Parts: sequence; structure tokens; C-alpha cells
Amino acid sequence: MLTIGLTHYLIVSAVLFCAGVFTMATKRNAIGILIGVELVLNSANVNLVAFDRYRAGLMDGQIAALFVIVLAAAEAALAVAICMNFYKNLVTVDVDQGDVLRG
Amino acid sequence: MSLQVGILWLCVTALPALAHEEAASGVGTGVVYAVPGGWFEAVMFYVFAGTAVLSAIGVCVSRSVVRMATWLFFALGAISVLYFLLAATFIAAIQLIVYVGGVLILLIFGVMLTSQSPWVRFTPSRLNLAVAGLICVGLLVCLSSILLEADFGAPLSTTPGVTVEAIGRRMLTHYLVPFEIAGVLLMIVMVGAAHLARQEKQ
Amino acid sequence: MEPVLAKLLAASLITPFLTFWILVLWGPKIGKPRAGWVGLIGGMGVPLALSAVVFVTWFFTSPEQRAELTAAAQHSQVLWAQLGRFDVTFGVKLDSLTVAMHFMVCFIAFWIFFFSIGYMSGHADCVHHQSKYWRFFAYLALFAFSMLGLVISPSLLFLFIFWELVGLCSYLLIGFYFETDYAPPAAMKAFITNRVGDFGFIIGLGIVFTFLGTLDLEGAAAAFKTQLATSTGLFAPQVTVPIFGWTFSGMTLATLMGVGLFCGAMGKSAQFPLHVWLPDAMAGPTPVSALIHAATMVAAGVYLVARVFRLLTPDAQMFIAVIGCITLTFMALIAIVQTDIKKCLAYSTLSQLGYMIFGMGVGAWTAALFHLITHAFFKAMLFLGSGQVIEGCHHVQDMRRMGGLRTKMPVTCWTFFVGVLAIAGFGIPGVHLGHWKFGLGGFFSKDEILAVAYDRAYNWGRFGAPSEGHAEAGANGEARPANKEKHADGGTRSAESAAGGRGVRLAAFSSGSSEEVQHSAAGTPAQKAAGSEKDAHGAEGGEHHASEKDGVASGIQALPKWMFWFAILTAYVTPFYMFRAWWLTFMGHPRDHHVHEHAHESKMMTTPLVVLAVGTLVSSYFLFRPMLSHAAEAAADAPLVVAVDGEAHEPAAALLSLDHTPERDPHKKLVGLVGFAFLIGFAVSWAIYRNGLDVASRIKAIPPFNLLHTLLERKYYFDELYDFLWVRGCRAVAAVCAFIDTWVIDLVYNLLSGVTERIAAFSGRVLDAQGVDGFVNGISETANDLAEVLRKPQTGGIRKYVLWSVGLATAAIAALIVVMRVNGG
Repeated sequence: MLTIGLTHYLIVSAVLFCAGVFTMATKRNAIGILIGVELVLNSANVNLVAFDRYRAGLMDGQIAALFVIVLAAAEAALAVAICMNFYKNLVTVDVDQGDVLRG
Repeated sequence: MSLQVGILWLCVTALPALAHEEAASGVGTGVVYAVPGGWFEAVMFYVFAGTAVLSAIGVCVSRSVVRMATWLFFALGAISVLYFLLAATFIAAIQLIVYVGGVLILLIFGVMLTSQSPWVRFTPSRLNLAVAGLICVGLLVCLSSILLEADFGAPLSTTPGVTVEAIGRRMLTHYLVPFEIAGVLLMIVMVGAAHLARQEKQ
Repeated sequence: MEPVLAKLLAASLITPFLTFWILVLWGPKIGKPRAGWVGLIGGMGVPLALSAVVFVTWFFTSPEQRAELTAAAQHSQVLWAQLGRFDVTFGVKLDSLTVAMHFMVCFIAFWIFFFSIGYMSGHADCVHHQSKYWRFFAYLALFAFSMLGLVISPSLLFLFIFWELVGLCSYLLIGFYFETDYAPPAAMKAFITNRVGDFGFIIGLGIVFTFLGTLDLEGAAAAFKTQLATSTGLFAPQVTVPIFGWTFSGMTLATLMGVGLFCGAMGKSAQFPLHVWLPDAMAGPTPVSALIHAATMVAAGVYLVARVFRLLTPDAQMFIAVIGCITLTFMALIAIVQTDIKKCLAYSTLSQLGYMIFGMGVGAWTAALFHLITHAFFKAMLFLGSGQVIEGCHHVQDMRRMGGLRTKMPVTCWTFFVGVLAIAGFGIPGVHLGHWKFGLGGFFSKDEILAVAYDRAYNWGRFGAPSEGHAEAGANGEARPANKEKHADGGTRSAESAAGGRGVRLAAFSSGSSEEVQHSAAGTPAQKAAGSEKDAHGAEGGEHHASEKDGVASGIQALPKWMFWFAILTAYVTPFYMFRAWWLTFMGHPRDHHVHEHAHESKMMTTPLVVLAVGTLVSSYFLFRPMLSHAAEAAADAPLVVAVDGEAHEPAAALLSLDHTPERDPHKKLVGLVGFAFLIGFAVSWAIYRNGLDVASRIKAIPPFNLLHTLLERKYYFDELYDFLWVRGCRAVAAVCAFIDTWVIDLVYNLLSGVTERIAAFSGRVLDAQGVDGFVNGISETANDLAEVLRKPQTGGIRKYVLWSVGLATAAIAALIVVMRVNGG
């Protein structure tokens, strides 16, 4: 238990992932869903960096993590903008209200 | 309150980074980190992995979006410490800057701009909660069972020094095309976000 | 000091350019009077200051230092681009011609800008409630930039670029009053006519580039000389033009090149077949007419010819002379009948430009440019005077309604008269105090052109006209001197020149006809052999060089005598119509009291008039003539044609001098021929117009004169001819095309379309409606049915999607684990 290995990190990552998915599945607030997505993305990042640290060591994992962070930031910006629009159109952020494909 | 906690906690996160710097200082520029280990790292890991996991669960169970965001703040910070422990100092720094500094603030802005009344909550149905919980726990069990049994082989004896310079070089040589694409993507996102958030003129 | 002068010239381009953009971008904000001052200071004030520094420095620089500076400027060109083996370089041409032209342009332009501030402020220039005032000065600044750039361009490429830019400015400024119905067509006419000329220019440039391999003026001239000496390139016995595959023999292509380059000058300087645009260009504001269409831009054509003088062949030069001669004579005649004060000046400008071109054509390089500069001063002044009159009379331009304005605008009247004297060639011939002669502007410059023309027409025999034997003996049809012979008698000749001077020597030379025959029999090999001897006889280098020019001159035909007499005729006509214009405007009794009562003049506008009047006086003397004379040494050192210095008895090595034998001295002949032409012109004009237009209208009614008058008034029907040839011609071609279009092409199309229609009907009703549509509809119906089924799970609830996907993934993983457990044990 004292020697921290790859498995430790992967377990943490798995827990984060499940928590993120649970958040996505249960929160009706659009921002809440976004927070869930962030958790999921972070769990993936932990995986990447951990594998890079323990297995590959070629920093490719870190670079992939960097790209994920960039994409996550972009996604967050866009998603918040979408939330605003959603709110502007429906006067709520309850995603269950937005189930019609109509502009 | 949460701000003070956050500051205190950020101070703590600096410690493992210092630990690594110490390890690296003897080696010189071609940084080769010592094999991580020892009780210090284990303690740090358990503390911050625990923080991350608990915060994530906190995110799951909170009803209020503001609370969720606060928990996420802790989770992201703890994850950044995990990066430090993984010798990925640059990623850790980026994690702090981009996530804790940028994304989270963005989310909080979103919360503030879209809340109808101070603490509006949309409660999910019990069935929903039950199904989601079942599925997530099931998934966790499956994953854990695989992970615990899996043999990942021996860990690397040393970690090549991953400096910011090395990352930069690799990013701009080997990963140049993805890098450019990411740049284009960011620009498109910027335009798109501006377009979406724009006030429609009458 | 070395690079400073060239840099100052280059720097003079900066502020006009910036001023242009400032006025374009913030013109309306700068406001009505201030935009003019911005234009004056930025557009011309700074360049004038720089130019004055350069001019004064250059004036006091010794010829040796000047040569060094010229070479330094030539070598410090910047490589701008490399296109294959062709280097595009940019730099500054720094020689006496550039310095003189630059200063002249800056000085005149500055005062015209100054005048414009007064002139334009009185104009109702609002279109759609927006003032165009700032726009005028923006265009002027752009013009200043382009014109100065044109003057300092060291290569034909940049000369061409700036050439087109000044053309653009001209177009913009002619069409400045675009809200009227006469300005836009005039602007278009100017632009299109210039394009016709530029077409020839581009052909010329193409030949220069293809065969001389560079567009740099010095490089091209050097290549020209080398190719001529070695009979290669342009001067190979058979020249084939790449791409087109045409072959030319001997010097034809070189002549074409010269003529092509001259075509550009024909357009810009409005020479005979392309002269039609300049009178119409008077639609622009009067300062523009003064600056662009009298003093500077139209003279660019002459400047171009001066620059490419070294690339001319005798035939091309003769072509130039003929065109110039025709222009100078016939345009002067038209000016007689003009009643619009600006049109009258425009035709006078055409005629004077003809003089300059004619001067270039006869080889009076220095004199033509000297005339360019003196003409710029007095013609700018005349135009500004007319601008003052037009402004003062509230836009009346018709001289028939003026008269008696001298009481109302005395300054304008007398400065105008100075201009009239200058253009008429006022002076007292034969009287001089040492070198100081008494006269004004044209008296010196026109006289010199005429003197050279006389020399070319009557005294040219001293070099021996080319005979048939020449053309065959010389490799390329041009004659070369027998240098060996020259060396043989070199000793005697130097003794002669020491004893009796040059005139005696030349007289002896021209009388020795047997010598000429010997000269003409010589061929290229002899020349080459002599070339090596040249160094050995370095001591008498200058003398030798001059004799080389004598040899070149012997290969050039004498000028046809009629051309000289045409120019003489014009020397009488010019004083006549200019005096007429002045008298009708300012003297006599007012013919329209309404106009006369309201006439006034303003300080802002009379100041430039006075300054330019002083400039006219000064420019006639010591400033420009020596400088141009110095410029001629390098710029007129042509291998095939010669430049003649009409003044100096011992000119620079590259130039010939006139025949100064007492009984043949052209200047002495001219005293009798035209010395008092201005008096006669004035007198006749005064006799006719003394009491207004009555006598003139009576003369107009007499049979031979009425036809002549109509002919002149209709400008020899050139507009009608061009209308018939080009406009109607185009329309006729268009009509034929339309006929073919209607009856041939449309027929085919209709046929095709009918067939297509049938096929379409078949395919549409049968194939499409039943076959294809059935198939497509079948697919779409299937898709529709499928969608009905598939849309059921698409609830739109995000959370359900998440649950479904994660749930299924979990199930799959779980199943996988179970399977592996079972299998793997």
C-alpha cells in the first residue's frame, strides 16, 4: 500500500469517472451536466498522465492531456454560451425542458 | 470561506512540487527524477486522492449548482496535486491555471447568469437516481475488478525529465498538426461562443 | 554628403504620400480651409524644402563630384525583387536632369498648391452635401508623390509605374467635377487616349527588357551600346522576337523600340494623333490644368524621351521630329480661333510641347529640356492667371465676354503679359552684354531649338549625308567614321583647333568631300581596331570623342527643310494668338458689363502669379541651362544619334556644337528670320483685335478664311474622325457581331434547345417521373418508415442518453468480464 503504483491512480480515475457520469445522468441543471463532463474529462487526464508516468515515459500522454485540457476549455466556453442561449430561449436551465428539435 | 480553504489548500499543493524539485536538483539539467516512493509520496497521494474522490462524490450529491461548482473546485485542485505527484509539473500548472482559474470561473459565471432565483433546484426523480446510481456503481465495480486484476508490468525505473521545453519542442515538431488544429478549433470556439452569446438585435 | 542627396530626393516622396492618406482618411474631419494647408505643407512644402537643399548643393558641386554622386546613387540601388535572371532594383537617379526637374516640379507645384487654396475655397464643391475640397488636395498630394517619383526613377520600370500613377491622378482631377456632364467624358477621353500611347510604351518596354535585358536606364543604355558595337542582340543581322517568332533585320527592331517608347510620350505629352485629350482636360479645375496639363505631367513625355535618348535610332528620332513638328504647327493654328481662355492656353501648351518633342527629334536635347522648364514656369503662370480671371469673373471662360479687365485685376493682367512675352520669345536679338543677353524664357529656349533645327536642315552637309554605299558597308546600315584616318590627321587637326578654333575646323571638314567618302567606306572592323588605339592616344581623348560624334552625325540624315519652316511659321503664330488672348481678356473695353463689374482678384491667388513671374524671369538665365548642359554629357551620349548644343561653342564631349562659321551661324540667321516675330505677331494681333472682335468676325466671313476658320474651330475634325473611326467603327463591329449572334449562333442554340427540350420531355415524363422518382420515393419511404421506428429512443432528454450509453457500456464490460471468467477460469 505504501508504494503508489499505476493501479492507484487508475482507481482514482475510475471513481472520478463514475462520479462524473452520475452527475451527468442525474443533474437537470445544464451547468451541472457541464460540471459532470469536466469531471469525466479530468479522470481521462489522470489516466493519460499516469500511464505516461509509469509506462511510456515519452511525455506523449502529457501532451495528450494538454490537448484534452485545451478541448475541455473550448468545450466549456461553448457549452456555457449554449446554456445562455438555452436560458434565453426557454427561461430555464432545466435540460429536461429542452427536448424539441426546433429553432 | 471556500476561498480561504482554497488558498490554504493551494499552499499545501505546492509542497509535493518542492519535494520533486529537491529530488531533481542534484541531477542537473538533464533532469531524471528519482523513483517516486517513500512514505511522503504515499501520504500525499492518499490525502489528495481522497480529496479528489470525496469532492467528486460531493459533486454527485450536491443539489445546488453553486455547491457543485465548489466541490468541483476542490476535486480539480486535488487532481492537479496528483499531477505533481506524477512528475507532470507542467500539466499540473496548466490544470490549475486553466481549470481552476478559467473553466471553473466560466461555470460559475454560467450559474450566475442563468439562475432564475438564488437557489433554484431541479430535483431528479427517485427512479432516475436509482437507475443512475446502479449503473455507476456497476461500472465502478467492473472497472475496479479489471484494474485490480490487471498486470501492467513493471513500472519504469526512471522518469525522463519532462521539462516545459521538452514538451514545447515535441508539441511544435511531432504534434505540430494537432497543435495547429487545436489553435483553429479555439478560434472557431471563440467565434461560435461570441455568436451564441450575442444579443439578437431587433 | 555622399548618399545624402539621393536620400533627400527619395525622402521627398514620403510626405506627399502620407499627406495623401491623411487627407483620404481624415479629409472631411480636417475641414475646408485646413485640408488645403495640410496639402500645401505636407504635399509640397516639405518636398520643396528638400528639393531646394538638393538643388542648391548640386548647383555648387563641381562636375567631378557630380559624376561621383551620380555613380554612387546608381550603385546604391536596392534590390527589390529577383525574377529569374532579372533583378528589379529601386533607387534614385541622381543627375543634373533629375535635380533640375525635381526642383522645377516642387517649386511650381508649391505655388500652384498655394493658389489652389484660394481658388478652391471659392468653389461650390458640395456633392450630396459632402464637400470635395479635401479630395482635391488628396489628389494633388498623390500627384506630387507620383510626379516626384517619376522624376527620380532610375529604371524604366519604376518610371512606368509612376507614369501610370500620374495618369491616374490626371484622370481623377480632370473628372473632379464628376457631377457635371462634361467632366467625366473628358476624364475618360484622357485616360483612354493615354492607354493607347501606353500600349506602345509597353511594347517598347518589352523590347528593351527582352533584348537589352534590363529596365535600368543606365544598364539599358550600356547594353544598347555594347550590342551595337558587337552586332549582337538587338543589332544582330537577323533578330527574332521570342513568342511571336517575327524576324526583323538590321535596325528595324531598335527603331521600333524607340518609336514604341515614344508612343508613351505621345500619349502623355499629347502629341499629334493622340493630342485630342488635352483640350478636353481643361474640364478639370484650373490649378490642375496649370500643374498637370501644362507644367509638369504633360512634360513627362518629353522627360521620357530625354531619358531614353540613348536608345534612339536615327529613324526613330526622325519620327519624333515629324510628330513634334506636326503638333507644334497645327495646334498653334487651332489656338488662333479659340474663344475659351483655357482652351486657347491648352492649344498653346500642345504647340509648345510639340516644340519640345521637335527639339528632341532634331537633337536639341538641352534646348528641349530648357524649353520644358521655362515653359513650365510661364505656362503655369498663364494658367494660374486664367484661373484668377475665371474665378474673378465667376466662372466665365469665354474671352468674348471679357475685355478691359486690367483695371479690375492689374496684377493678373501684367503677370499674364510677362507670360505672353515669355512664350512669344520676347527679347532683343543680337544685343548682349558679355554673356548676358536680354530676353525672356522662350527667347532663349525656342531660339535654341530653332537654331539646332536650322543646323540640322541647312548645315548638316558638313557631316555628309549617308549614301547608298554606307548602308551596305556598315554592318547594320549605320555609318561609322574611319577612325584610322582621323588619327592620321589628328596632329593637323589639333593644330588647327589651336590656331583657328572649332568653326574653322568644321568648315574645313565639311568642305573636304573626299574625306567623307573615305569615312563612309569604313566598316566595323576598322572601328574595332581603332578602339584599341584609342587608349594609346589618351592625350587627345576629348578631341577624339568629339570626332566620334561627328562620325555618328554623318550617319544621320539632314532634317527636311519643311520642318524647319513649319517651326518658323509657328514662331509667328504663337505671339499672335497669345497677344490676342491677353488683349481680348484684359485690354480694350469691357464687352460684358455684368462680368466686368463683378470681377475681382484675391491676394491668395495673385501671390503665386507674382512669384512665378519672377521665376519666369530668373529661370531664363543662369539656373537651369548650365545644369541641363551638364546633364546632357551623360544622358545624351547616344551611340546612334547625336545631341547638339545650341549655345556653347565648346560643348561637352557627348554633344556637337552648331556650325559657327559666320555665314552659316544659325543664331545669326534666326535673328533675321524670327528675331522680331513677336513684334510682328503682336502688331498683327493688335491690329485685328484692337477694337474687340469686329474685325475678326469680318475676316471670318471672307471666303477662303471662313472655310479655314471652320476647319480650325472643328480642330481639323479630329474628334469627328476618331468618332467615325473608333466609336462608330466599334459600333459597326458590334452590329456585325450582334447580327451573327442573332442569326447564326442563336439559330444553332435554338435548334439545340429544341432538341434538348424534346429529350427533356421524354426523360422527364417517362424516365424521371416513373423510373427515377419511383426509386427515389421508394428509398425515402423506406427511410421514413425506418425513422418512425428509430425516433422512439430519441427523446431529447440528455440524461437519458447518458444513462443509456453508460448503462450499455457497463453491461458490455460486465458481459466481457463474465465471459472471460468463464473461459479463462
